[in-house]
Amino acid sequence: MPALKNILKQENTRREVLVTSYVVPDAARCVQCGICSFNCPIGIDVRRHAWRGEPVKDSRCLTCGECVARCPRGVLRFERTNLFEPEKLDFRGLLEAAQQSLLVEHH
Amino acid sequence: MRHYVIIGSGPGGIAACEAIRRHDASGEIVVIGDEPYGYYSRPGLAYLLTGEISEKNLFPFSQEDYRHLGSKFLHGRANRIQPADHTVIVQNHTTHPVVYDRLLIATGSTAMRISNPGCELEGVVKLDNLDDARRIIKLARKAKTALVVGGGITALEIVEGLVSRGVKVHYFLRGDRYWSNVLDETESRVIEERLVDEGVHIHFHTELAEIIGNRGRVAGVKTTKGEMLKCDLVAVAIGVRPRKELAEASGLKTDRGVVVNDALQTSDADIFAAGDVAQVYDPLTGKSILDTLWAPARDQGYVAGLNMAGQTTFFHKEPAFNVTRLACLTTTIIGAVGRGDDPDLLGIARGDSETFRQLPDAIAAQSNFDVNRLRVLVGTSTLIGGIVMGDQTLSKAIQVIVANRVDITPIRQHLLTPGVPLGDLIADFWTRWKTTDASKQS
Ligand SMILES: Cc1cc2nc3c(=O)[nH]c(=O)nc-3n(C[C@H](O)[C@H](O)[C@H](O)COP(=O)(O)OP(=O)(O)OC[C@H]3O[C@@H](n4cnc5c(N)ncnc54)[C@H](O)[C@@H]3O)c2cc1C
Ligand code: SF4
Ligand code: SF4
Repeated sequence: MPALKNILKQENTRREVLVTSYVVPDAARCVQCGICSFNCPIGIDVRRHAWRGEPVKDSRCLTCGECVARCPRGVLRFERTNLFEPEKLDFRGLLEAAQQSLLVEHH
Repeated sequence: MRHYVIIGSGPGGIAACEAIRRHDASGEIVVIGDEPYGYYSRPGLAYLLTGEISEKNLFPFSQEDYRHLGSKFLHGRANRIQPADHTVIVQNHTTHPVVYDRLLIATGSTAMRISNPGCELEGVVKLDNLDDARRIIKLARKAKTALVVGGGITALEIVEGLVSRGVKVHYFLRGDRYWSNVLDETESRVIEERLVDEGVHIHFHTELAEIIGNRGRVAGVKTTKGEMLKCDLVAVAIGVRPRKELAEASGLKTDRGVVVNDALQTSDADIFAAGDVAQVYDPLTGKSILDTLWAPARDQGYVAGLNMAGQTTFFHKEPAFNVTRLACLTTTIIGAVGRGDDPDLLGIARGDSETFRQLPDAIAAQSNFDVNRLRVLVGTSTLIGGIVMGDQTLSKAIQVIVANRVDITPIRQHLLTPGVPLGDLIADFWTRWKTTDASKQS
């Protein structure tokens, strides 16, 4: 069963895709500890992106991977640019939409 | 103009401000907090202790952010809520009760204390807030030997912090293993071995009886078996309890926490509760439960804020999960994984959820690869929980499978076959599920 190997291989080939990807947070895992922002060599406030669930679309991002590697909770990962639509990543909006769709279902 | 009052400036309180502001540009928001620092990352305190970050890194919001929120911070302890006239009495501001139309109680939780002789000596510490962390750091400068008692994540965070500051650490466990009601035996042993490698002295079946002082300071401890240990610091992490006294005293319905409905409303329609202090209905177990987790506190605060601003919204509890570092090993705990009591904890721990211990009839399937360990709890047709230690490749997959109650019947028998490569099996299933049923994702 090669699936796990494939996923791991994706990790290994990360370097190759760095240039074409953003740092993307999984907001629900983040505890706002600030390790990412502290370790970003050019001072991007990665934590703020994690709070909002927004990818780091700062053109200054070196895609050095420092924030991804240092986050103690696996919040951050690199994702190819074309794999998501940024407007869908508004975390609060998403939550609100989800909760309100539930509301609709209730009635 | 509506008056919103929020008691507590943790993630619950802050998320409520954000939600209110999103829908009410002009309402007045007052945040009452008894810590002078306002909003900061409480889990980040663990990394402050290890020296990975400095104090200023704990604060996620800038002055600009607060201006943007347009909330007013009132430093002081809320002493009493008077639901009949919609006011809150705040310490040091007693002549000016704060008036509310909608009130949120987001007072969090607080560490339980020990009552052993000597517990009031200088050098006995807990880890609840920034003041506690500062105290530990200050004491660790001089301390040579420390004793840690308790369990769960916080006990280990203190252990790690002290070890990284060069303090020799003894760790007392009442039973025969670490965090026995969430971890299984192998997982406990993995953690214990790593602690021993770091130089920690673990004492099993050992219980603190008395703390011995010298001129008001900790000088050592005595165990229930009469053994003596010299130390100059005693750290206690035996669990936390929700700070529900305020709600209780004002006649709101409380149980283990402040009881709320699915709009996060308390027994008084104008008063809401969110975060560690709230006891919330959990559809997964059918019970009303406590979490001490950052993400649910934030989500609940947000939903409470929406309701306070008149946007009727229900809170839908996701299966609890926490990603943490135990003895430097990244560990994700998802849904129901254990049961019963832990002799080292008197209640819920920090970064904990009662869901983690709601183990119904399920069979555990597990597999080891290097230090990485994977355990999933297999229900009749779904996965109901899992623990991923080390390599986190599969933690997201398991989280989504548990949260969405994905039907795992196609692989259930395989999962339960001894010796099966669990990781591959789940990765394979996950990849297929994602491609065939991508709409269900996230
Ligand atoms: C050391 C540590 C490690 C942690 N690790 C993790 C982790 O790994 N993962 C995770 O998910 N969570 C973790 N947590 C838990 C997480 O921080 C909490 O679940 C979260 O902060 C709860 O948010 P809250 O808004 O409910 O309350 P809190 O963040 O506790 O904030 C409540 C605030 O209200 C104040 N307050 C209380 N009563 C009053 C009153 N009467 N008047 C005025 N102010 C009052 C308190 O002083 C406090 O400032 C950890 C916590 C600690 C301390
Ligand atoms: S390091 Fe990770 S957990 Fe900490 S603030 Fe950054 S993204 Fe969040
Ligand atoms: S990848 Fe590097 S440059 Fe980009 S945000 Fe992370 S730490 Fe900063």
